[in-house]
Amino acid sequence: MSDTPAAVVVRRGAYHDSVALMRVSRALSDLPGVEAAMVAMATELNVTILRELGFTVPEAGPGDLLVAVRAHDPGAAVEEAERRLATAHRPQAAAQEQPPLTTRSAAAAVDAGLVLVSTPGEYAFLEAYDAVEAGLPVMIFSDGVPVERERQLKELAETRDVLVMGPDCGTAVIAGAGLGFANVLTPGPAGVVAASGTGAQQVTCLLDRAGVGVSHVLGVGGRDLSAEVGGLSTMRALRMLDDDPATELIVLVSKPPAPEVARAVRELPLRTPVVPAMLREGGPDLTEAAEQALRLLGRSVPEWPSWPAWHRARPSAERITGVYSGGTLATEAALITGSRDIVDYGDDAYTRGRAHPMIDPTLRVEALAGAAETDVVLMDVVLGHGADPDPAASLAHAVARTPATVVVALIGTDGDPQDLHRQAAAFREAGAAVFTSNAQAARHARSLL
Amino acid sequence: MTVGTHARRARVRVTGAASVAVRPVLEAQRRPARVLAVFPQGVYLEVRTDLEPSVIAVITGEAVRLPNSVLLAAHLPPVTVGDDASVGDRVIELGPLTLGVRRWWDPAPPLGPLDAATLAGAAALLDDPPNPGLAGNGTVGLLASSCADGWLLGAVTAAEQLVGLGPGLTPSGDDVLAGLLVTLRHLGTATGAERAVRLAGWLAATVTYDARTRTTPISATLLHCAAHGAASPEVTAVLRGLAGRQALRPALRRLHRLGHTSGSDLAHGIAIGVTAILALSGTQPPEPNATVDLESREPNATIGLESPERTTMSGAPATASGGMP
Amino acid sequence: MTPRPRAALLDAPPHVITVGAGLLDEALRAQAVRTTTVDWRPPLPGTAEALATVLADPRRQAANERAVGRLLSARPHLAGVRRASEVLPAGTFLHAGPPITWERASGPMRGALVGAMLLEGLAGDEREAGDRLAAGAVELAPCHEHAAVGPMAGVVSPSMWLFEVNDAEHGGTAYCSLNEGLGKVLRYGAYGPQVLERLRWMDEVLGPALAAALERTGPIDLRALMAQALQMGDELHNRNRAATSLLLRVLAPALVETASEHAASVLRFIDGNDHFFLNAGMAAAKVSADAARDEPGSSLVVAMARNGTDFGVQVSGLGGRWFTGPAGVPDGLYLGSYGPADANPDIGDSTITETSGLGGFAMAAAPAIVRFVGGEVGDAVRATRSMYEITLAEHPAYQIPGLGFRGTPVGIDVALVARTGLLPVVNTGIAGRVAGTGQVGAGLVKPPVEAFTSALLTLAQSVSDQF
Repeated sequence: MSDTPAAVVVRRGAYHDSVALMRVSRALSDLPGVEAAMVAMATELNVTILRELGFTVPEAGPGDLLVAVRAHDPGAAVEEAERRLATAHRPQAAAQEQPPLTTRSAAAAVDAGLVLVSTPGEYAFLEAYDAVEAGLPVMIFSDGVPVERERQLKELAETRDVLVMGPDCGTAVIAGAGLGFANVLTPGPAGVVAASGTGAQQVTCLLDRAGVGVSHVLGVGGRDLSAEVGGLSTMRALRMLDDDPATELIVLVSKPPAPEVARAVRELPLRTPVVPAMLREGGPDLTEAAEQALRLLGRSVPEWPSWPAWHRARPSAERITGVYSGGTLATEAALITGSRDIVDYGDDAYTRGRAHPMIDPTLRVEALAGAAETDVVLMDVVLGHGADPDPAASLAHAVARTPATVVVALIGTDGDPQDLHRQAAAFREAGAAVFTSNAQAARHARSLL
Repeated sequence: MTVGTHARRARVRVTGAASVAVRPVLEAQRRPARVLAVFPQGVYLEVRTDLEPSVIAVITGEAVRLPNSVLLAAHLPPVTVGDDASVGDRVIELGPLTLGVRRWWDPAPPLGPLDAATLAGAAALLDDPPNPGLAGNGTVGLLASSCADGWLLGAVTAAEQLVGLGPGLTPSGDDVLAGLLVTLRHLGTATGAERAVRLAGWLAATVTYDARTRTTPISATLLHCAAHGAASPEVTAVLRGLAGRQALRPALRRLHRLGHTSGSDLAHGIAIGVTAILALSGTQPPEPNATVDLESREPNATIGLESPERTTMSGAPATASGGMP
Repeated sequence: MTPRPRAALLDAPPHVITVGAGLLDEALRAQAVRTTTVDWRPPLPGTAEALATVLADPRRQAANERAVGRLLSARPHLAGVRRASEVLPAGTFLHAGPPITWERASGPMRGALVGAMLLEGLAGDEREAGDRLAAGAVELAPCHEHAAVGPMAGVVSPSMWLFEVNDAEHGGTAYCSLNEGLGKVLRYGAYGPQVLERLRWMDEVLGPALAAALERTGPIDLRALMAQALQMGDELHNRNRAATSLLLRVLAPALVETASEHAASVLRFIDGNDHFFLNAGMAAAKVSADAARDEPGSSLVVAMARNGTDFGVQVSGLGGRWFTGPAGVPDGLYLGSYGPADANPDIGDSTITETSGLGGFAMAAAPAIVRFVGGEVGDAVRATRSMYEITLAEHPAYQIPGLGFRGTPVGIDVALVARTGLLPVVNTGIAGRVAGTGQVGAGLVKPPVEAFTSALLTLAQSVSDQF
């Protein structure tokens, strides 16, 4: 290990969310004289990472904050970290104002219409329960909520007549407002009920590209259509969109549901046509579902934009690996390519105590660096609200350096803040082929073998 | 060019939400604009363009979400009337700010199907808005009775006279017309009252034809928006209330509170529109005296409404098909 | 909390409450969507699972509403005074806080017990009193277990007089001793001759005089009196000047009429003690909090009390069980040359005022208090505002003019304490550590976290047992 002095400071009970910590870590690493820096909650995973980085970590629990630096002047770096943490995102309150500390007190204080919960999963139930109890719909972005708790929440929501989106609901759009990871969409006739965030993003981005706007995207969480949860949120969301005058057609994005749930959903008396987008062996992919929705709305299906790689693929390609941030996009890629090496870095196992790969590219950059010359790497780059403000900045560099052949599925709209065309150009410049349809990207990857 | 000088200064990138009504102007090639008016919670920009809306309201805080507005997620910059600005290429440049859109809203949301009986039940609440700017005005009376009778010539004549009538940034006559236009468009569509929707088309063509020369720029733009069914959420909420989708009384109270007389004038226009829709769809309107003149009208004028090409109107009903582009 | 009428979610972009990642809040703000940000922290360590269990208990919300509803609707009336011998079981002394033995008792508790032995003639001197107490000659029981409360040591022996307060709404009764004044007094652990002499005068003169006067006045509405005192700058724990004056105004004519011989000395005694009302207020708080007891599934705190060694809480859904942690040493201002080293850990049942939404919870009503407990006026306002985060309701009668007549935060929820990590703000007097010293200061004290977390864990266990 390096001879540069290192310091690890523990701040007991100091809490910051993982994104805020990632930003401070990054800013710190960029400072002159700083060799390595990590500011993180002392979760098991983070402690392991720090030890692997050669830091000596004192006794600390997941409720404690660790500031670890290796720098010429570690004391100054730690001070800088503390200064940045102090100014990290905090509710701005007047000196004698009390910011709400729970969803319960926030709901009592303001006339809100929705609660967005993104705490670590083990605590999300508490905040979501507050919301439902106060009669407010809630979107639970957090994952890791036990399924019994999900069921309890949704049963309570039935009695309060409110919608529970999630847990593990990554995307929602309410009257144009994008919540979580969502794209900038034009209002229009297509409504979406989604058990998958990135699945909904793929479908809505394609619809938007075809000139069809979206009324609302209501997420329900990946387990809603399981037998345990019984599709309570899916059915409520379908009824809400059915009753919404702006919605002329509903796309239902999900994994194949439990049979009894599928029956209950089918038996719902709906006036609005529903297009299912369910990924299964031999079934239509997300792009085909979007195309079916377009036809039902009487619109023509355009060519989905794609940009071929500047160079031909190496003839030696032997296998397809997937480096995904979106679970459903990864599933779709696996179904189309038949590859077993498609990894979803947005899975629980990779996000505990660290930010989602749509925000924090570290793990995917590492994966690209580790790819072999004979690999075709299939990856998604998801744009929109909440996502990395410039994914190409870190990932395109990694694409340029990897010996593998890279195929990118670029999910976004022209309205997205990251500028889709600039992103496409950057990945193409780095040597990748770029597609706006993940299914087409996957088929292209397969064709390279 | 002045705009060029602006561009070279350090610019602050900010974001916000916009009505889809301003999208064509915002996504067109960049055009110069000038600050038309400055309020504590909003700045009106006049854009040098043939497109509509040619006036864009950049607003913040609790300002009324006019159908031509862009809501800033930041404080308004310090600008004064006459300052240069620009709109287009997806951004608005105003003072030191470069404003990009992160959310779009629909100022003309559809209401869904509605039966005329439900509308008739709700319509009674529309009586007597407080302080309408043109209370007792004969032209407004003519507009109301002509619309209810489906007498196109009368309606168009009254509308022509009302454009720009009254004091203020949005003259009362324009507000009445705007309320009437969005009502005919949305509630007419919702109840399937085709004659009402056609009437909307004719009136829209009439009031937008020379609005830019007849009234204030902001009011002209709002008439163009209303011609497409686009309105502020206060108006939309009352239409929703009439359609039984939300509580009508509180929505009306909120509408009445807009401006000096704007809210009441818009409500007046809505009331005229509802009466017309009920009359034209053959449903008994709530107020018998509103249809007093119905019998005395020439029948051929009513037929004229069914087939506008046979009338002697100058100008085509350009926006008769309705809906936002 | 009553649910709001359902807002139509899809009609317009909603005002969003965000809790968790700041990034998602920023993304909404960038879209000009209104947000309210929860300043979220993880709950106290080890409580997440219990919190989920308690929150999901279907009985909880209604149970808490009923329990806190009774606490809010109680109508305490000062009905009279009684000699403790009429109320106490034979051979028993009461004391403040959760149960304690002589062995574990702190200096001021021991001092007060010794004083009571001497007062009752059960020992000839200090040493004999200590020996007899150590030998168990007298049964020790918490005031709280006999419908009573006592400030500081809270020792009640048979020849002391008690305020009797009835709840005209729910029919309960609660007692609290008469306040001796400040300085060298039994409740702070002093037992010198002047202390005992005063107690004898209280037994012979003050008690009977008050009894006669209260019989003449009839029951005094303490809810109304306390509401008024809050608007006059009291918080009714460490500042009782207004309430004492108000009570004196009611009592004076009746005292003159019924005890003319002693009226002047009684009135002078009350006038000389700004805290005279405290004990009546505590009994009022106790009778109100008792009304909220025994609601299965409720996470409402119905008692907080300290015996100088332990800080204990009781919870409505858990009957008479005490959940304790070590009593902390208050942080505040000291009298004369005393300092923190002279201070005893926190002691007394007076935290019943905070339990019912007064005292530290009503600090914003009493800006003058900051001169007494340290800090600035802003701290008082902040203290009250923060307590809304851990309480279930706002008091309909006890209001704070400076906060726009907002009701005081009332009804501590152990679940909210665990979720926010925010502990009840407690105003208190500070007793000298050594028996016989008396008061050494006043200030704020932090209750021990474990009292609340252990109550929560037990409540969660009771939910699991239920289903």
